[in-house]
Amino acid sequence: MSYENINIKNRQYKIVVDNIRKVYDVRSQNGQDNERFLALDNFNLKVKKGEFITVVGPSGCGKSTFLDILAGLSKPTSGKVYIDGEPITGPALDRGIILQGYALFSWRTVEKNIEFGLEIKKIPKEERKKISEKFIELVGLKGFENRYPHELSGGMKQRVAIARALAYDPEVLLMDEPFAAVDAQTRESLQEELLNIWEKTNKTIVFITHSIEEAVFLADRVVVMATSPGRIKEIINVKLPRPRINSQIRTSQEFNLSRNKIWELLHRDADKKQTEVSV
Amino acid sequence: MHEEIYEIKNYFQYYILRYSGVILILVLWQILPEVGLLDSQFIPPFSEVVVQLCELTLKSELMVHVAVSLWRVIMGLIIAAAAAIPLGLLLGGWLTRAADIVNPLFRIFSQVNPFSLMPIFILFFGIGEAAKLAVVAWVCLWPILYNTVSGVRRLDPVLIKTAMSMNTSKFEMLKKVVIPGAAPSIFLGLRIGVEMSFFMLISAEMIGATAGVGWLFHNSAMNNQIPRMYAAGVCIVILGIVLNRFLIYSQNKLFFWKGSTHVFSFAAWKKNVSGFSKIQLLFVVVVVSAVIAVGSYAAHVSKVSDINSNSSVQMKHMQMDKKEHDHMNMDKMDKNKTHDYMNMDK
Repeated sequence: MSYENINIKNRQYKIVVDNIRKVYDVRSQNGQDNERFLALDNFNLKVKKGEFITVVGPSGCGKSTFLDILAGLSKPTSGKVYIDGEPITGPALDRGIILQGYALFSWRTVEKNIEFGLEIKKIPKEERKKISEKFIELVGLKGFENRYPHELSGGMKQRVAIARALAYDPEVLLMDEPFAAVDAQTRESLQEELLNIWEKTNKTIVFITHSIEEAVFLADRVVVMATSPGRIKEIINVKLPRPRINSQIRTSQEFNLSRNKIWELLHRDADKKQTEVSV
Repeated sequence: MHEEIYEIKNYFQYYILRYSGVILILVLWQILPEVGLLDSQFIPPFSEVVVQLCELTLKSELMVHVAVSLWRVIMGLIIAAAAAIPLGLLLGGWLTRAADIVNPLFRIFSQVNPFSLMPIFILFFGIGEAAKLAVVAWVCLWPILYNTVSGVRRLDPVLIKTAMSMNTSKFEMLKKVVIPGAAPSIFLGLRIGVEMSFFMLISAEMIGATAGVGWLFHNSAMNNQIPRMYAAGVCIVILGIVLNRFLIYSQNKLFFWKGSTHVFSFAAWKKNVSGFSKIQLLFVVVVVSAVIAVGSYAAHVSKVSDINSNSSVQMKHMQMDKKEHDHMNMDKMDKNKTHDYMNMDK
């Protein structure tokens, strides 16, 4: 892409992923030489401001690698990523990451966990308290400010993790299977809550999941990935109305159509591979 | 009401069962020497030991000796911690490759019994307090170092990743994530260090000291005051137990956020453990300061008289050794005589 092209596009797009490629040097199967493992290849994506993107794909297709690159925790071997027109050089407070397994600091109370990012931002004490109170209420944990993580349930811990990422006001939220460690019922209600929060705060969200239902329920667009090497197979537009309510959406025809389409995309190749192996 | 009584009854039963072994030994200790099955010169009945213990406490400043021993442990611990914790944090967090390289070396060092290193320590530090502190510090150094490194390495990488995504500086990462996260492991290292050094210290005090519970034990043995010796021994055991329980208690209080382990293993009576309250913290600080103050004073006093009496103690040792030597020679001569008799018989 030429420089002007990028500039024009950046006014519309929050995140521009420009043909990134990520290669890992690993030991080969026989343990002797160093092989090059192609984790991501030919990855192009443009995300608009305030969009909700989900990424689905088989295990090991490079979803988490992609998220790490977006977060600035890892650098692509080639290609560039831009946020608001600026290339990403490393981690920063304009992006928040929420990982599987909550990653709460067990020695800090709920309130102090949420204030962590604010402390990094060097915000003074009273303001920190006000902001954390606001987000505690937003995720529905009022009254639990002084509890410790080991006293909370899985769903509550996840809410704290979400509040912590939101508190220092990043414009982009990167979520790596955040609801995978939560039970199924809590998961569905958390999905609804996440959409509520998203509509109130207007963030740009990139959400990785294994669950196709989750991907369709949450997203504006679903990025379907393939593996070996990790690449985008197709990007699907989800034409479901908002706000999305569990009882209404999950049984609608459009929902199931989208879901089946993605399932086909993901498993068509898998079936193919199986026949190849058997031959 | 019934439930309470039932609980109290259970409580007592539980206690009695747990300590029945100890009670049995104490009963035997009391009865057997009095009856005559055990020579009461070498193993006095327990009541005599208790009397001696009370005498020691009231008259001869047992508490001072205890304070001196504790002081040595605390000082040695502080020295070791000041060296080991920063080094451990560095090796565990940033220089992981270097940590792998030096690991075998450190493992070997940690296995070396500091008691056998005493001659080297005496060479470097002289025969005064510094040598004993060096023993304690050596014993404490390795568990603290090892546990700090492993504590840092065992940190959940997700935590580090989360903090890094917020662009935390290295210093803030250390202060806010690494140290609190590794703290339980570090404390475990401290605890192991304290227990092992207490063990070592008692024997180290038997060489060239004039204060401390180990010295008390040794001194009583030398002067053939057997009940006093046993009293010192019992005191050492009690001190060790109290120290251990106190450390476990502190561990649970400090790290209540881990979902703690048991204190006296009575999970049934464990109430919700919470952090150290201000009063408790104050109490602990006061006691520790008192120990340090008394102990250092007494150790200093003993150091001055150390030099004077040490030479005499050593001479006594040498004389006694010589006597034993003579004994052995006489034995040999006896043997020769009997041998001759046997030959003559033949």
